[in-house]
Amino acid sequence: MTLYLALMLLFPLLGGTVSALAGRKLPRRLVEAGVCAAVWASFVCAVLAAASYRGPVSVEFGRWLSAFDLQAPIHLYLDPLSLSLSVMICFVCGLIHVYSVYYMADQADYARFFALLNLFVFAMLTLILAENLPLLYLGWEGVGLCSYLLVGFWYTDSNNATAGRKAFITTRIGDTALLVGIAWLFQLFGTFSIPQINGMGFLLPHGIVTAIGILFLVGAMGKSAQVPLMVWLPDAMAGPTPVSAMIHAATMVTAGVYLLSRMFPFIGGSAVTCAAIAITGGITAFYGATCALAQRDLKKVLAFSTISQIGYMMLGVGAGAITAATFHLLVHAFFKALLFLGAGCVITAMHHEQDIYKMGGLKDRLPLTFWPFLAGAACLAGIPLTGGFFSKDSILAAVFLKEGTLYTSLYLLALLTALLTSYYSFRLIYLVFFGSQVHVHTHGELKVMQWVLVPLALLGLFGGVLDLPGYLGGGFLDSFFGHQAGGEVGHSAAQEVALQGVAATLAIFGLLAAHWRYGGKSRVDRVRESSTRPSPLYAFLLNGWYFDRLYHAILIRPYEYLSGILWEKVDEGVIDDSLDGMSSGLGITGRWLGRWSTGKVSLYILSFAAGGAVVLGYLAWLTL
Amino acid sequence: MIIPFYHVLILASLLFGMGLACVVAWRTNVIMMLIGIEIMLNSVMLTFVEGSARWGIADGQLFALMLIALTSAEVSLALAMVVYLHRRKQSVNTDDYGSMNG
Repeated sequence: MTLYLALMLLFPLLGGTVSALAGRKLPRRLVEAGVCAAVWASFVCAVLAAASYRGPVSVEFGRWLSAFDLQAPIHLYLDPLSLSLSVMICFVCGLIHVYSVYYMADQADYARFFALLNLFVFAMLTLILAENLPLLYLGWEGVGLCSYLLVGFWYTDSNNATAGRKAFITTRIGDTALLVGIAWLFQLFGTFSIPQINGMGFLLPHGIVTAIGILFLVGAMGKSAQVPLMVWLPDAMAGPTPVSAMIHAATMVTAGVYLLSRMFPFIGGSAVTCAAIAITGGITAFYGATCALAQRDLKKVLAFSTISQIGYMMLGVGAGAITAATFHLLVHAFFKALLFLGAGCVITAMHHEQDIYKMGGLKDRLPLTFWPFLAGAACLAGIPLTGGFFSKDSILAAVFLKEGTLYTSLYLLALLTALLTSYYSFRLIYLVFFGSQVHVHTHGELKVMQWVLVPLALLGLFGGVLDLPGYLGGGFLDSFFGHQAGGEVGHSAAQEVALQGVAATLAIFGLLAAHWRYGGKSRVDRVRESSTRPSPLYAFLLNGWYFDRLYHAILIRPYEYLSGILWEKVDEGVIDDSLDGMSSGLGITGRWLGRWSTGKVSLYILSFAAGGAVVLGYLAWLTL
Repeated sequence: MIIPFYHVLILASLLFGMGLACVVAWRTNVIMMLIGIEIMLNSVMLTFVEGSARWGIADGQLFALMLIALTSAEVSLALAMVVYLHRRKQSVNTDDYGSMNG
């Protein structure tokens, strides 16, 4: 087990380091094969670890931070949560690496790209497997750094570089809160070990648990693009599409959900924190879904849907349903990676056109993209019997079964969101794949890229078997997670079927609404309408509720104003001018005093005598 | 001891003041300035000797002897420089030597 865990981390690190240091000297094929092999080797290790898994394992490899009583060793912890996530991450990242080889085939800067992808996998696995909080934080910042560098991969365009900076700075706001939370926990318990902290939560007063829980929630908000720190994710789509699929859909953005699930035994002790998590999740889910309704950019639709789906996971965590949240996290990783990779195929075939209103008819031209993409959209929409249906329903059921007005209203909001989700998913399908044909450009690389979609589509569609509802024989995840699940309430099969019926009806209703509005003849009208000026509501949704403008007005503009004052008034006005004044004053005094040194001995002697007289006079005055 | 201590001190002060006045006032001739300096030094020596006599310790007298030696050396050096300066500018007026003007 020790060996598997060590190798799982070391393979991507080795691949990343070698490509970073020697990637440009080695043959391109070798680098590409090497980075893919590194991730797949990690996957093999993860599977072997899963096969030999008997119970939670914790392995210490060596010392890392060690000063007085502060101990943060390189210590990995494998439990059902980290095991299932690391298997998923290795698998999805492995597929995306293969896809990237073909997607980035015409890019000259492949060494940097693949080095960063591999380092990202390393950092993500560190984050997942860490036993103590500083190691987790190391991975947390590592993925943030790789995300920043990959979003700004095409840095020569200043928009991309700005998007990278925006992502980094926004997530740092959350990271700061997380760091404060970690330091506070250390001050309270004198240890960083997550299992130990989780076991000692009940010792603390309720208020402190709430405060630390909120700090962790803010950290998760930044990383997982939750309201109000979600503005970076749509902009992060400036990166290459495989990066969007890997970092901004499947793995990194779900780190916040992972963090909260990991710490749930601790933070779940406070009902206020749980409610805050649930409210954040519910509002974010609704926000993302409404914004996705109006987007024109294919990748931005998916970005907002990612925000919305992570909101669902947060809602699940807030309702105490860790199993359901992790279930949705896993299935979402499959189908959202699938959708992004499908979008990458579409964008390649459309000569890098991303406006969905300029697409159409791709169903016949790219059937191998269409069918997996349709499967992904069905999962996203929660069409019955797909993986997304079961995972979303398990979250909805958990929220429904929580008592209180708050959770009931969040349940209704989540149902409304489910309806919107189904609507925008099929709006995307109708606009991109149906209607009149446009010219597409297919080549050899596209063929391989499309085949990568197939395993993801199968996993998305049949992901439901991971955790079937009780009346269908019970779930694998449920029993696997059994001992560490949060406060999930048992429920009867009849209730379960009724809840699923409601969700299924809404999903189908959304599909029909999308068909009515975007299918067949009305699609032409919509495309014609799209070139006219958008209505205020439409513009409101298109611009993400104008959150960017709000932040610009309340944060950036005052900051710039303050900086202007500090620069022109304080720095130039006070500091520079006072120094200038002092130096010119000294210069004037020096020139004035300099007139004294005439070079005439007589004057010097006279001055000397006068000085002596003064000293003598002073001494005389002292004595008398 | 016939002469009171204070009388000697007053004499020394008077000598010092006159020497200083000579140095300050007679700037047109550097030799006269040197003489003024000598007078001032002599007043100092007088003070030393008187102090030595007053407290019965030989240190003051020893120091006076050393000052005599020092002064003779100083005067020989200074007069050599005066000769040199006179050769350069045909003048012993100190105001003609203003090249150290700041």
